[in-house]
Amino acid sequence: MVKIFIDGKQVEAKDGSTILKAAEEAGIQIPHLCYHPAFAPEGSCRMCMVEIEGLPKLELSCSTLVREGLKISTTSPRVIEARKSVLEFLLAEHPLDCPICDKAGECKLQDYYEEYGFFESQFKEEKEKKSKKVRIGKNLILDQERCVLCTRCVRFLREITKSEELGVFERGVRSVVDIYEKDLIENNYSGNLVDLCPGGAITDVDFRFKTRTWFLRSKESICPLCSRGCNIFIQYHPGFPRFELPKRVYRIKPRENPEVNGFWICDQGRYGYSYLDENRLFEIVQNGERKQEEQGIVKEIAEKIRRMRYANRLKRVAVILNCWLSNEELFLAKKIFCESLKLEKVFFVDPPLGKGDDYLLTEDRSPNRRGAKEIGFSYKPLDFNALQTEVELLVVFGPFLTENFILAEIKSVLDKIETKILFTFKKNDFLRFFETVLPTAHIAEKEGSLVNVEGKVQIFNQALEPRGKSLPEWKILLDLAKEMSIDFNYYRQFSSPQDIRREMAKEIPFFENMK
Amino acid sequence: MEERYLTKLFGLENAYRIDIYLNSGGYEATRKALKEMKPEEILNEVKRANLRGRGGAGFPAGVKWGFVPKNVDKPKYLCVNADEGEPGTFKDRYIMSHDPHLLLEGIIITSYCVGIHQAFIYIRGEYERIAQRLEEAITEAYEMGFLGKNILETGFDLEVIVHRGAGAYICGEETALLESLEGKRGHPRLKPPFPASVGLFQCPTVINNVETLSNVPLIILNGAEWFQKRGLPKDGGTRIFGVSGMVERPGAYELPLGTSLKEIIFNHAGGMKEGKKLKAVIPGGLSAPILTAEEIDLPMDFDSLVEAKSMLGSAAIIVIDEETSMLDVLKVVTKFYSHESCGQCTPCRVGNSWINKIVKRMVRGEGTREDLDNIARLASNILAKTLCPLGDAAAMPILSIVKKFRKELESHLRE
Repeated sequence: MVKIFIDGKQVEAKDGSTILKAAEEAGIQIPHLCYHPAFAPEGSCRMCMVEIEGLPKLELSCSTLVREGLKISTTSPRVIEARKSVLEFLLAEHPLDCPICDKAGECKLQDYYEEYGFFESQFKEEKEKKSKKVRIGKNLILDQERCVLCTRCVRFLREITKSEELGVFERGVRSVVDIYEKDLIENNYSGNLVDLCPGGAITDVDFRFKTRTWFLRSKESICPLCSRGCNIFIQYHPGFPRFELPKRVYRIKPRENPEVNGFWICDQGRYGYSYLDENRLFEIVQNGERKQEEQGIVKEIAEKIRRMRYANRLKRVAVILNCWLSNEELFLAKKIFCESLKLEKVFFVDPPLGKGDDYLLTEDRSPNRRGAKEIGFSYKPLDFNALQTEVELLVVFGPFLTENFILAEIKSVLDKIETKILFTFKKNDFLRFFETVLPTAHIAEKEGSLVNVEGKVQIFNQALEPRGKSLPEWKILLDLAKEMSIDFNYYRQFSSPQDIRREMAKEIPFFENMK
Repeated sequence: MEERYLTKLFGLENAYRIDIYLNSGGYEATRKALKEMKPEEILNEVKRANLRGRGGAGFPAGVKWGFVPKNVDKPKYLCVNADEGEPGTFKDRYIMSHDPHLLLEGIIITSYCVGIHQAFIYIRGEYERIAQRLEEAITEAYEMGFLGKNILETGFDLEVIVHRGAGAYICGEETALLESLEGKRGHPRLKPPFPASVGLFQCPTVINNVETLSNVPLIILNGAEWFQKRGLPKDGGTRIFGVSGMVERPGAYELPLGTSLKEIIFNHAGGMKEGKKLKAVIPGGLSAPILTAEEIDLPMDFDSLVEAKSMLGSAAIIVIDEETSMLDVLKVVTKFYSHESCGQCTPCRVGNSWINKIVKRMVRGEGTREDLDNIARLASNILAKTLCPLGDAAAMPILSIVKKFRKELESHLRE
């Protein structure tokens, strides 16, 4: 550690840290455009210059390392003047088309102009003409006039994806970022370029002209689309009075977590958010009719199971779970179905494996297989033959049967079963095979925890309101347990995921250190 | 008095051929250095000679070599900066076309001193025929055993490769040169690290100008004291002054460092063309702040020119007479830097283009008084704030022209 002084404040900084990092850790923000913590300092935007006592020139804070006793000013008149002049240069050749720019509201140029600029434009010349709408990737459009040439995009593709689809062409003020020939950016991380771009040069086809950023609310969540468990922000529109919007969620953004996903998410997770809003089941449906109350239905199921238990026919009950359930839910399911009821036929049906890449995206398209394993499930894929013989009651969690089996096959098996109950968040064709269907909340709409592919436990909070009558599975499972009156004293101690988590931490050593 | 050491063979027929070079005592320095001297002795000699870089910055060559780490398991490289792009400068092309073996000797001795076995000559693309001549000289040197394996049976190996640039001024900046040599876009690198530790292909690298290296054989043959006496104690050796513009005898003049600018123009270069009046002089390549006719009575060495708020740079003297419009000079300067800015860092990229756009408007007769203030303001905002020295190289002459010739520039304004 070294002692330095930033704006008169004594700061302890790590050896080898840059001034910019040390200042950030001390809560002092230094504006920057080309610098990004994922890459080596570039030093080209010149926004982050600071004054160091004893040195004649202003120095770059993004690349200058701290030294014992360094006295740094981030607010001296020279620094402020230099920042202002860099902004003046940047904005001189910028189209200033904020009113039609999708970045407006979260644009570094706008922010810095408000904070450090506020000058009258003295640029009376003609601006450079460049291409305004270059398709550089499936989801990406580049406006070269808005570009400040920070080259974060170029460096991302060089250093992170190593695919190098973008380069800088031409020279001087005519410099542009562009693709080589006609080879579009086709890697699975292309969407990150939109986040990396400090201005509005690279915009997302999926988001372009759909809404304005300042309408959006941002909530933390975890991406459930593979077993990596990338930390994300779900950005949704709270809606307008008297005006219905086509959708609720407008985009997914990565949330920095060095232990899981760094700064990035893959395109699969970014653009695959349609499951949040499309084909959602809103209502409880029983024998083709809409029902108002969840309680009554759970009571009926509980009653049925209880009767079967007294008649010693529990081996005719089958349950299908999935790895989209949280640890808390899987823990309850284990307790209820495997320990209290001692069912033999507990299966898992998950989305089939997909193609992984060598970076974040895993083959496993479920977020919590590791959690299921740690809770003690020996993963048993569905055995159709076991279902066909002597099953009287089938309880299915999740919509994933249709992704694994053809509809006719499912129908022929389900036709032989007397009572079939489905808990799902998705409306699809096979709903009609079940007497009772209850809508459930998915991960963005509930709280709980997941264990990612590397064994990291991650707690998540509710980001969105559950749709319609959707309920989280932990609630349904708890109601079921309480209604069945088996081990009543055990289950009645729980009323929230936190309660369940606490008990889980007590019972299973793996979850011991979970906060 | 003109003293000719570097330019000794200039004008001699076929002087570039190795037999003529050998007849005039060529490769004696190489023989002495490789056979009789230890690398440390050479380093000390060059350090004591106070040989300062001839490319523009004037950094002491021996000190630069001393920065190269001794014990590394990576190869070390020598890059010869023959990109000579500074407007007004033509000394290196003279050395390379008239006396390529002198440069090769400098390369061999420097490489031996620093422990380098691979040298590159990065020559500007426009010097196509000179590049050919270098190739021929290198072939001759290989044939005579001055290059290649086991040079002069000393066990020292050295390969030399000529690499032609593609015509960018910025590639004369040493780190942009390295990028270009690596096959990338010629963009300057952020320093530190300096090339001496992390240079070409991430390996320790010495980069020296053609004229700098060509002085090395002279130091080896004649000793540090002799070399110092040819110039100034802190600034050893002679310098090739390239005089261009409105003089009677433009050309390259080898003179001791410290020769007066006035003497160079009026004695050596034959005075003003057609007896016109002198208006201004750019003393060290286009990047050097301009001097007025009243300011030329000064010795041409690094420190004196810094004192005069200009710089010696590449020692290229551009002479401007009374009939040249300073607005035209300003137009040429700003057009050049706007065109040659690599575009990597903001102030240089936008600032130079902005200033050039204003000047073009002034040339059309649409300039105002505020425009002149604005040019000075923008140039100050480029000065000392860019990633590489090109920003300063542009801002300094612009600032000096606007300051020293404001009255004349104002006469072109719309009022």
